[in-house]
Amino acid sequence: MEELLKLSRRNFIKTGALATATFALALDSMDALALERTDLVKLTILHTNDVHSRIEPFPLDGSKYQGLGGTARRAALVGQIRIKEQHVLLLDAGDIFQGTPYFNLYGGEVEMKMMSAMRYDAATMGNHDFDNGLEGFHKQLPHADFPILCSNYDFSNTLLHRSTQPYKIFKKSGLKIGVFGIGLELKGLVDDRNYGETIYLDPVKKANEMAVLLKNELKCDLVICLSHLGYKYATAKVSDQVLAKNTRNIDLIIGGHTHTFMEQPEDVKNLDGEITTINQVGFAGINLGRIDYYFEKNKGKLVKTGSPYLISNEI
Amino acid sequence: MRCCRSFRIYAILLLACIIASCSSGYKVVKSSRSDYSINQDLSADSNIIKKYLPYKAKLDAEMSQVIGRSAVLMSKKSSDTLPESLLSNFFSDAVLQQALKLDADIDFALPSTKGGLRVDLPKGNVTVSNVFELMPFENELVVFNVKGTEVQSILNFIASTNGQPVSRLKMKISNKLAVDVLINGKPLDPNKTYRILTSDYIGGGGDNVPVFKGITEKKVLGLKIRDALLNHIKESEARGKTLNAELDGRITKA
Repeated sequence: MEELLKLSRRNFIKTGALATATFALALDSMDALALERTDLVKLTILHTNDVHSRIEPFPLDGSKYQGLGGTARRAALVGQIRIKEQHVLLLDAGDIFQGTPYFNLYGGEVEMKMMSAMRYDAATMGNHDFDNGLEGFHKQLPHADFPILCSNYDFSNTLLHRSTQPYKIFKKSGLKIGVFGIGLELKGLVDDRNYGETIYLDPVKKANEMAVLLKNELKCDLVICLSHLGYKYATAKVSDQVLAKNTRNIDLIIGGHTHTFMEQPEDVKNLDGEITTINQVGFAGINLGRIDYYFEKNKGKLVKTGSPYLISNEI
Repeated sequence: MRCCRSFRIYAILLLACIIASCSSGYKVVKSSRSDYSINQDLSADSNIIKKYLPYKAKLDAEMSQVIGRSAVLMSKKSSDTLPESLLSNFFSDAVLQQALKLDADIDFALPSTKGGLRVDLPKGNVTVSNVFELMPFENELVVFNVKGTEVQSILNFIASTNGQPVSRLKMKISNKLAVDVLINGKPLDPNKTYRILTSDYIGGGGDNVPVFKGITEKKVLGLKIRDALLNHIKESEARGKTLNAELDGRITKA
């Protein structure tokens, strides 16, 4: 499986076999470390965004992404990772719907069923998840065995009232991981009729509220934001970069919307001068993102926060 | 006394700080990352295939049907040919032709923004699936009555976004503004009311296209954009005509 890992597209192509060997070594050494030290807990986060109803791989028709993606391969890969790793979270940053006839014919049922079969832990909503209206999304929720996380859409006056939740806390052998969802402004992007009385709340303000709640009050060890804002814009429009710089307490933003194939995750300094990592893996399930965090248990010692931890671009 | 009290407050604060920092049981000591390409080298999970197979069978039966042929690849990515593209020109002409059957009085068309055209139209066989992927949205065609004085704002939107799919419209882009405009062969007349073909999505302010949203005088044609395309391709095939498009200079840079 290691040979399928890649640090960055460009480097991978360049270095090929050498990289494979290095990755394999890196993996072994870190795993050995995790085994030796019982106070070290490893969490593996796997993520997708903007899968856009790509149930099957792109057809072999000479197009740019021909043969890539597909839920069956993603499921197999996730399954292999789950065998090796004890603590896995599988997350999606929205735009589950729209893009292949599977959506036009079945309205999102197949997408939700496949994600449930892969045991996704949570997803947020993208603008295209409103394409069949609130009713169209609501209708598919029975097929989703995972929560939809939205913190800055107020659905109180709509059909989706209580169908989504702002955040969820996952517990993994003593670790608490708080995950919340942030959506983009729907006006101008989604037909008014399709979002109805949904109220859009300021994403930066809401994200700060969520992150403070999760990290400080609910004592999460890691806070993850599933965002459909988009990676960055030439204008001042709110993006993941803007969000990262203007918030505190968020460790990781898993982004979407702009279909950005990031060479590698970006580490941004947040309001506290700490690291907020942004990652996004293109679209259509062409890639699966992976970020591993290693946690050390505090033994009653006062820990200086804000100290940079070691970040490696090798799994 | 005062000194003691402030010390006590300080101590309580310090204690609170210690508790707060300790209560989060773990801290991150290392992070590593990577991504996987989901490609042919990976095995597939047969359980997943089994789950979607019944859906796929029904879908394939409908979607794999070849309904026409295209002489050229009409690419969505057209940065080299902008402000026009083969796909934009083919698309807007095809949709306008179909709409004219339902309403003969249309001055020009902007049926979608180029962002709304989602994939390339391939060279060779064109299937129902190709059309669904090109236009996956359920958007409907609408004709809006727009005052001549307001048309310029729409044209300037087209200019400022480096061209959009249009038909029966010829214009040049100068400093992000539309100049030398010809609508259906005639210069823009501010005193005339124009009937413009677009979609309910754009009509509702979608993709930030200006003007349409405030207009109440409109006619819903009862035809989805995708159906217009499907009809056009099927009709061309029935007449033995291969689909084609050209860059005809409808939008140029001044």
